[in-house]
Amino acid sequence: MKASLALLLVMVTAALIALGWVQSGGVTSHEISAARTPEQAVEALMADVEAHNWNRAYARLADTGTVEKQDFIRDLSGSNGSLRTYSNLQSFTVWPLHATDEDATVRVRMTWSSAIGPMDDVRDLHLRHAGDVWTIDWPKPNFPKVPPQVIPVNYLRWDVIGRNAGDEWGVENVDTPNVRITSMNAIDRPEGLVLVGEVVNEDTVPAYVSVNATLLKPDQSTLDQESSFDMIAHTLLPRQVSPYRIDFPGMRIRQVKSVRMDVKSLLVPASADPVIAVANQKLGKDALGGNVLSGDLLNQSGQNVDIAQVVAAYYDANGKVIWVSNGYVDQALVPDFPVPFAVNIPKDIAPKVESYHLVVNHYSRKNG
Amino acid sequence: MVSETSFLRRKIPLAISVFVALAIHAPLLIMQLPLRTSYDANFHIFFASHYAQHWFEPWNEKWFAGFSQTTYPPLVHQWIALVSRAIGLDEAFMLVMLLAVILIPVSAYGFARLWVDERAAGYAALLSVFAGTVSFLVYSAGQLPTVLSCTLFLLAVTYFYQWAHAAEWRALLKGLALSLAAASAHHVTLIFGSLIFALPVLWLAMRDRREEGASANAVLGRALVFGVLAAAGIAVVLLPYWISIIQHPIKQVPIPHASRSNLLMNTNIFINYLIVPYGAFLLALPFIVFKGAGHRRLRPLLLAFWFTFILGLGGTTPLPHWILGRAFEILTFERFTLWAVLLGLPIVGLWAEELIDRYSWKAAGGFAIAAVATISLAMGWLTWSPFRPTGGLDVSAVVEFLNRDGHDQYRYLTLGFGNALPKLSTYANAGSVDGEYNSARLLPEMTNYGAAQFTTAKFFGTAGMESLKMMLRHANHYGLKYIFVYDAYYEPLLVFTGWRQIETFNQGAITAWVKDDVPPAHKIISDARPAPWEGVLWGILPMASSVVAILFLILLPDRRLARIGNLLTIPAPEPVYAPEVQP
Repeated sequence: MKASLALLLVMVTAALIALGWVQSGGVTSHEISAARTPEQAVEALMADVEAHNWNRAYARLADTGTVEKQDFIRDLSGSNGSLRTYSNLQSFTVWPLHATDEDATVRVRMTWSSAIGPMDDVRDLHLRHAGDVWTIDWPKPNFPKVPPQVIPVNYLRWDVIGRNAGDEWGVENVDTPNVRITSMNAIDRPEGLVLVGEVVNEDTVPAYVSVNATLLKPDQSTLDQESSFDMIAHTLLPRQVSPYRIDFPGMRIRQVKSVRMDVKSLLVPASADPVIAVANQKLGKDALGGNVLSGDLLNQSGQNVDIAQVVAAYYDANGKVIWVSNGYVDQALVPDFPVPFAVNIPKDIAPKVESYHLVVNHYSRKNG
Repeated sequence: MVSETSFLRRKIPLAISVFVALAIHAPLLIMQLPLRTSYDANFHIFFASHYAQHWFEPWNEKWFAGFSQTTYPPLVHQWIALVSRAIGLDEAFMLVMLLAVILIPVSAYGFARLWVDERAAGYAALLSVFAGTVSFLVYSAGQLPTVLSCTLFLLAVTYFYQWAHAAEWRALLKGLALSLAAASAHHVTLIFGSLIFALPVLWLAMRDRREEGASANAVLGRALVFGVLAAAGIAVVLLPYWISIIQHPIKQVPIPHASRSNLLMNTNIFINYLIVPYGAFLLALPFIVFKGAGHRRLRPLLLAFWFTFILGLGGTTPLPHWILGRAFEILTFERFTLWAVLLGLPIVGLWAEELIDRYSWKAAGGFAIAAVATISLAMGWLTWSPFRPTGGLDVSAVVEFLNRDGHDQYRYLTLGFGNALPKLSTYANAGSVDGEYNSARLLPEMTNYGAAQFTTAKFFGTAGMESLKMMLRHANHYGLKYIFVYDAYYEPLLVFTGWRQIETFNQGAITAWVKDDVPPAHKIISDARPAPWEGVLWGILPMASSVVAILFLILLPDRRLARIGNLLTIPAPEPVYAPEVQP
């Protein structure tokens, strides 16, 4: 009895631990780590990236002579305070595009958890069969190399003075800037009711803007209340126009009697710097076949922009705003170096788009 | 071999173990170490601060735009609140923690005495002071209610044994009062721990009774009486708690916790939840298994230990998930290591007795080194661990900001504050939409995502950030006007969603952000608010149960435990067991 109970407990414990190991993916991860197939090789690489095990991830590359380890890490984990430096690989999907005995191409969709929400990055990776394992040809990253130069700074800037240290913003004894909603369009979408439109700062001073909307029932009571959140340029320079979008998940137009729009504006200090130009805009498709508005952002100022956000308004043939979408750029904008961007457009909206208008928001750590 | 008269054959008086516990832990607690190193110390102080101000009002407006403190048994917090009147909140927490730590060897001794002789029980008590799991729960986890409740339940089961075995009325009264007090201290220990301790003791009482030639049915009957009275008492004492969990069962999306993962898949988690809590205790596992299996008397104790040990491994084995089902996703499993160690210590005490008899000072030295190494590892892990609590963050400037110029008309949020949030909440008048107690939250912005607090949103990946974004979207609804950031990671989101930085504190380490169009906060109507009579019950019964337990312990002194029969012992000079338990 003595030995049998002890033995039984040891055996049951071992069996439970083994079962737990299998259930936790221990066996699968061991198989993947062996990289016997192209998909396993990419999955293993992604698992190492997810775990920030850069040494092991780098060791999976085919030709480490062409890509420096630091460049490889920088390519995946970001640099210069870019959005990628605020991100962690959360999940990935791998599927083969082409394979022979000697080489293969595998597409990987990396989903990064970032400071502004999930971000996808799709890459096609070429692999080589070397002995028993598959190794990855990591493309040499193209990092900005800008020659030393002087960029004259002559942008406009508005400061606000006369504010006491104890005062809160928003309670200064000055008139609020004159800001007006120029258009509003209510759209029924599968996800819910969406309000899109544009707002303009008609004043000669910069304004801090937020657009709120209240859906009203037939009895004028409130049905729902939402704000433009990150679908707007919150700081508007004089005469600047920004698109806005307000989402009401789960709502339908038929439930709504009327909409009360409310634009809040506030005098704030602001600057026209950095100037970010948009070039090469075009409507097209991304690697996964989705409709996108793509182009390049060019930082024409002398300071890095850590994170840039593009907000786009789309117009139909009548000039009416039919959709607003946004997208973040996961590379930092260093001066005078173009960085590509892409903003998604729903499949049913894309054919109706005749023109578009873009505004670029930005965040840089040192500026707060 | 140690002679009959050797110093090493003397039993270690319980007072020595208590003194050692005091010597080790009193200085550390006087230093208020858990405030800087533990995850939950600030949380418990926050709960206590509410009772200090509103003893009979369990509705707390400071977290989650309002939540009920009846979701957490109040005894520990109420004692802290009571003592804080004299010495302040932080000091009161430390004092109650010290009391709990001192009770560890007392309860370990009492429990061990049910199974083994006085000398082995003395070793068990002394070794319990050095247990890694105790230091882990006190200084790293800060789980005062878990520690106190566990010791009270252990004491209760010793009286339960005396009542069930010998029908001692004093024991029944003390056992019941202690059970009620233990239940009033911690709900998880009540629901899961109490059975783990009580069932083997019930088996033991029946076995001992049978060996005395009497029927075990009487034992079963008395145990039933004890169980019914305890259940009824706990039902009444914690009635508002039961109402709250029946009204709002925990349905939120499961929140990941490292103790639920497979410990073998990550080295740091393996060290944190296995090596540190157990330490050198792991070396005793083979002895526990073989000695426990070898003696009929110890088998239920072994099985209880094994079961608890496996549960303490969290997701390393599928057993906890099979047994606990949905509760697996709610519980954290570090507390099971404390229960496992306390269940295993009687057998370890026996092992110590056997080895010391056989190898004298060498064995004593070995145990001493192992014990010191175990507690040293647990304390050292506070420094070496990659998991760093932020409870020591200086939040006084933020408190000062929130308490001036009517800022407390609005709600606030912290980002990157970690477990400094409850410290801020304790002293700020304003309420937050965030909070540290996952089981009490009802806001859909939190419960619909698999993330814990907003302040630690980034650690929960996309789920955490989406949860935070949803709360920011609804800032106007909740009157959420101020956000305090101690981690620049969150700044981009605030910038792009319309928040503006207005102040910096602590030499720029903390930034304050505002959303200008937010109206003052209004009360959020909730059906979770307890009725006034529940507040009165909550303010009286749990505290009364502990006072009654203390009075019974003073007024009804224990009779000697010598009546417990057939204890495992190591008679000199041969290291053999009592004839009746020899294999």
